[in-house]
Amino acid sequence: MRNISSVLGKLAKTMSVGLMLLFAVTMSRAQDAANGAALFKANACQSCHAIGKKLTGPDLAGLAERREEAWIIKWIHNPQGMVDSGDPIAVELKGQYPTMMASYANLSEDDIRDIIAYVGAEEVKLAEKAVTGDAGAAGGGASNDANTLMIVGLIAIVVLAVVVIVVLNRVIRSLEKVIAANQAAIEAAQAKNEVYQESSVAKFAKAFVQNKKLVGFAVLGLVAFLGVLGWNTMWNVGVHTGYQPVQPIKFSHQIHAGVNQIECQYCHGGAYKSKNASIPSANVCMNCHNTVTASDHYDGAVSPEIAKIYKAVDFNPETKEYGNNPKPIQWVRIHNLPDFAYFNHSQHVTVAGVECQTCHGPIENMEEVYQYSPLTMKWCVDCHRETEVDVNNAYYDQLIEAHEKLKKGEKMTAAMIGGLECGKCHY
Amino acid sequence: MDSNKKYWKGLEELQQTPAFVESSKGEFAEPIPVEDVLNEAGLSTKTPRRDFLKALGFGLGAVTLAACNRTPVHKAVPYVIKPEEVTPGIPNFYASSFNGQSVLVRTREGRPISIAANPNSIGLNQGTDATAAASVLDLYDMSKLQNPQVGGKDVDWTKLDATVIAALDKAASAGKQITIVSNSVNSPSTLAAIAKLAEKYPTTTHVQVDAVSYSGIIEANRASFGKAVVPSYHFQNANVVVSVAADFLGSWLAGEEHTQDYIKNRDYKSLKNGKMSRHIQFESGLSMTGTNADVRIAIKPSEEGAALISLYNAITGQSLAGGITNKKAQTAITLAAKELTNARGAAVVVAGSNDVNVQSLVNAVNSALGAYGSIIDLDNYSKQYQGSDAAFQQFLANATAGQVGVAFFLNSNPVYDYFKPADVQNALAKVDFTLSFADRADETASELNAIAPNCTFLEAWGDSSSKEGYYTVVQPTINPVFNTRQAEQSLLVWAGDNTNIYEFVRQNWENNILAGTGKAWKDVLQTGFIYKGSETGSSYTANVDVNAVTTAINTAAKAIAGDFELKLYESTSIRDGRYANNAYLQELPDPVSKVTWDNYAALNPRDAEKLGLGENGKVTVEANGYSVELPVVLQPGQALGTVSVAVGYGRTKVGKAGNNVGKNAYPFAQVVNGTVQFAAKASVTKAGGTYELAQTQTHHTIEGRNIIRETTFAKYLKDPNSESGRFADSHKTYDLWNKFEAPGHKWVMAIDLNACTGCGSCIVACNVENNVPVVGRDEVRRRREMHWLRIDRYYTLETAEGKLTKEKEIAKATDYDYEDVTVVHQPMLCQHCDHAPCETVCPVLATVHSSEGLNHMAYNRCFGTRYCANNCPYKVRRFNWFNYWNDSRFDNYLNNEFTQLVLNPDVTTRSRGVMEKCSMCIQRIQAGKLEAKIEKRKLRDGDVKMACQEACSANAIIFGDINDPESEVSKALRNERVYYVLEEINVQPNIGYMTKVRNTFEA
Repeated sequence: MRNISSVLGKLAKTMSVGLMLLFAVTMSRAQDAANGAALFKANACQSCHAIGKKLTGPDLAGLAERREEAWIIKWIHNPQGMVDSGDPIAVELKGQYPTMMASYANLSEDDIRDIIAYVGAEEVKLAEKAVTGDAGAAGGGASNDANTLMIVGLIAIVVLAVVVIVVLNRVIRSLEKVIAANQAAIEAAQAKNEVYQESSVAKFAKAFVQNKKLVGFAVLGLVAFLGVLGWNTMWNVGVHTGYQPVQPIKFSHQIHAGVNQIECQYCHGGAYKSKNASIPSANVCMNCHNTVTASDHYDGAVSPEIAKIYKAVDFNPETKEYGNNPKPIQWVRIHNLPDFAYFNHSQHVTVAGVECQTCHGPIENMEEVYQYSPLTMKWCVDCHRETEVDVNNAYYDQLIEAHEKLKKGEKMTAAMIGGLECGKCHY
Repeated sequence: MDSNKKYWKGLEELQQTPAFVESSKGEFAEPIPVEDVLNEAGLSTKTPRRDFLKALGFGLGAVTLAACNRTPVHKAVPYVIKPEEVTPGIPNFYASSFNGQSVLVRTREGRPISIAANPNSIGLNQGTDATAAASVLDLYDMSKLQNPQVGGKDVDWTKLDATVIAALDKAASAGKQITIVSNSVNSPSTLAAIAKLAEKYPTTTHVQVDAVSYSGIIEANRASFGKAVVPSYHFQNANVVVSVAADFLGSWLAGEEHTQDYIKNRDYKSLKNGKMSRHIQFESGLSMTGTNADVRIAIKPSEEGAALISLYNAITGQSLAGGITNKKAQTAITLAAKELTNARGAAVVVAGSNDVNVQSLVNAVNSALGAYGSIIDLDNYSKQYQGSDAAFQQFLANATAGQVGVAFFLNSNPVYDYFKPADVQNALAKVDFTLSFADRADETASELNAIAPNCTFLEAWGDSSSKEGYYTVVQPTINPVFNTRQAEQSLLVWAGDNTNIYEFVRQNWENNILAGTGKAWKDVLQTGFIYKGSETGSSYTANVDVNAVTTAINTAAKAIAGDFELKLYESTSIRDGRYANNAYLQELPDPVSKVTWDNYAALNPRDAEKLGLGENGKVTVEANGYSVELPVVLQPGQALGTVSVAVGYGRTKVGKAGNNVGKNAYPFAQVVNGTVQFAAKASVTKAGGTYELAQTQTHHTIEGRNIIRETTFAKYLKDPNSESGRFADSHKTYDLWNKFEAPGHKWVMAIDLNACTGCGSCIVACNVENNVPVVGRDEVRRRREMHWLRIDRYYTLETAEGKLTKEKEIAKATDYDYEDVTVVHQPMLCQHCDHAPCETVCPVLATVHSSEGLNHMAYNRCFGTRYCANNCPYKVRRFNWFNYWNDSRFDNYLNNEFTQLVLNPDVTTRSRGVMEKCSMCIQRIQAGKLEAKIEKRKLRDGDVKMACQEACSANAIIFGDINDPESEVSKALRNERVYYVLEEINVQPNIGYMTKVRNTFEA
């Protein structure tokens, strides 16, 4: 027994030291990486480069391993110069990527180091994501929260099993001890002068079991713990924050809304005038994707994701002709409100002027969209309590009392003009 | 001031029968077995411990398992190519027309969900009748055919076309007739399509026949004026209206348009100007129009002609033989004649009879009164009924003689609605090829060689012309959902014309209707109608041989006079039977009897007493050699010695909802003087057994509380506050609760009891708008109807000695014959009380008040204690006993995904176990407010309209914001006649009612 615990102890020490080291390393990098991230965006690096993916420029993953720091600095400062000077790597790159990179002489050497650090950090994140992503993918895209529930359940079962094993061990040991004690008593009778020494752990256990108050407290504690756990689980039933189903097309809001800065309204026009934000019909996609095929990333072939749009509208990119067999794209709905709750986008977007991001989160950075907000009634109500009404809207002139208050310079929230009443959302 | 009148909803209430008293005590019709469980034996029963644990364990396990369900994946499927005009979530409105009325069809994501009047149209531009409001359901009817049929088997259109064309060619080469039998067709394009067929096959004839015929009027006008038309009536120009058995506000001709016009002389605006028309009704059965009359005299069907003869004599001073002998009627006619003569030029007489002679005499009376021109318009005549009984009889004769090669039936179902179905069947057997355009295999279509299913008006291009010079378009709002083709297109194909129907209709309009108007086809698609007629009609003088007519009337009257006289009538909802499969209409209570899902024999209670009939009794009615067993309704107001039965019921092949509902009454009819007539000598005998009708009249009783205020016009003129009995005028009130502040809007409603005719189209419109489920006959019997809005109909008795008003007097009196009753209709819906009793008893705050004066109902919060319903003094809350819209036990219409497309997507479907009630169309209020907010402007009066308000042709329901002093509702509620129902209990309702004013004789 002691052997095992000492081995475990050593292991724990090593691990904690390792973890601390890892933490220290990450921390020291993080400072640089943050600046690097800002620079990466500010200089629009992402328009040609990605980490883990080939865009117009090469994939930056493994950059630090692939190239020396000095070479990178030199290249960023003057890529064309390096090609001209006949640097073999530069020439090779020129051959692989026809679009020549611009020179970024404004970046200091430290800046470039920060960017390299950022790229490194992103790589680590990517690797981590790949691991968890695999686990998630096994469960299918249907329901993430079911997976977490399952994992939590599994862990709980494992913990329970360990507890059972430990308890059983204890029982066996106590029984052994009883036998041993009996034997010892016989032996003691035989050799009265011998001194019996009991182990401290067993002593403690014995004392613990004998102390009924302590047992009571322990049971109480356990009940309280399970109660809290259960309570929290119950509260989160039906709350799908983070829900990120697999979509039929790997559509990236990051590329469209983030990199290319396309207005939300361009595709989700309904959000400004209707109840539904509405998913754009495929003909809206075709406005751009008629020509944008991303074929430069796929060796001249149409991107397989864009090809799915062509299939939906039955479009032949070669002849640029439409067929007669369109099939709608079946997206998986991410934000699901129950039937009894009425939500109108235009009320929030056009009338109240709420940013899309307020509810949908950093959508412009989402590779794939996930549910950002809990969409619970508490979440709605909290916002209605705080959001002020747009005083310049002539509609509110009618609200006599509201008007009076506004004249006095008081705040007027949605809640104060009936924004919390049942019938505003439930009918 | 309390009224001393006694109002009662049904005889049970008047006589306080033990059953009524018992049922009015309980909250539910059927006792809940609380006592059985909570008695001593029940409580001391030992539940075995093991069983209890087993149940507990199983329950826990089952719930856990059920809860382990994965969150379902919802798909969001956008359009591939979105139509430019569609934005998901925003309704589109299309101008179209239904039965000649210009309407706006509201569609959501391409599916029609409701129908409202086109407010910019002429004629009927406010409100629709119940059938129009309900017609949207017919589109989603699963009982319709999904494919064309030949010989009862599904075929494709090519096969059908080949079969039909072969038959047509055969008939043409044999020189046999090709006949199209239809109901009245006023659509210019349909007529043009028929003309196309006639062009190719010259032996084609078109026979128009209506199940409920108006041939008598047409023939009478042909004789009197040389114009074979049904005139249109302008009741707004009539100060005195005398109706002899014409239900002109209900099913007679254009009831809804008449209502709109008639009420203009009787509603609160007219009363404000000190003007009210007088309406005198003579009839046998109590019709909806009769309930609205100022004076109503019960007469037998055989006395209708006599009454008119007396009236003619009194007006013209002549003395034709055969005047009425009935004392009460005589007095009334003398008074009525005086009134009519005094109002010459603004007085009119209408009669419901289909007898040429009766109508000729009416023409003579109206001519003497100078009614032709401003009131009766023969120039802009109605084209809604053009059927000729004689033409159809001729067709039957020709067919029986084997002269007809091909017969097509368009909107015509004579096997069901002709009084001699055997004659029709025999005739059809002699026709080589028969085809129906019916959308379902109905009684006629199922016996024919082929069916070419027609589209509904929501799927088709077309037009109609309900009045001379007035044209409306019909435009599709959805692609045909089944493999159907509109009849006009079929006719064109068979005529060898391959023009697309859209092109055909457009060309027909551009060449014939729009020519010279300076308007384009696209303008019409937007406005929905065009009017080319004159402002008013010109004056005419009737040329009638009164002596000959009188002799004929007297002969006919003798033939139907007897101990019992039968009168058939058209119900306001099912009409001639074509709407029989519409569940909304089947469940709409009759305006007078409040019976749903059945027709019945209406008898005077005294007659029933003589026959030994009580409640739930049955009789055998026999007339013209046809007899049928019918449940009895003891109908106050029914003339003694008469029995009334509604036609349109007893269909056998109409679909799930309408099959075998009631009994067919058409075979009771007979042909007299060449026209089909709905009166006959009958015998009525008691039949064995009982039958419980699903009658809502005593449901939700207000326990005799004083909730109706009624006055006479004379009293009103002296004091507009007369009889309004406002409690607050004479009492000081104390509030238990704080005053509710409504700082923004405060939504209120005003209901004009003088305008409400009780027709019930508001109920249907409410059902359609708010996804109110139909529950079926059995559930209605259990008082479980879900209607958010009901119309309570109250009777008061009058006797020869004067009004019997006080309760004690009624108890003492025994000599009244139930013929003389007056009626008040009171729409009753959630009053949105400021101090709502329902709110204070809800244990979970599922019903709470809003800052806009509405009583909100959060269904997801409700867990069904029903305390609120118990505490509601107005009895307007409804409990969902089942998932009516998705439970196979209540499969009236909605239990399939297709029909569920009729549901309004802005309103939740309530599930089992929750309460619901009028929400004051909160979805419309919210949408109206949102529109104003988006446009950054104030909400204007009239931006938000309730579904019931929109459906009311009489403008009896006025809705708006009382915080806006200029709104119509504010003005209406400042009226002296306004009172609040049960004001004395100080629940502070937000719906004001206006006293009923009756323009009676003695005043």
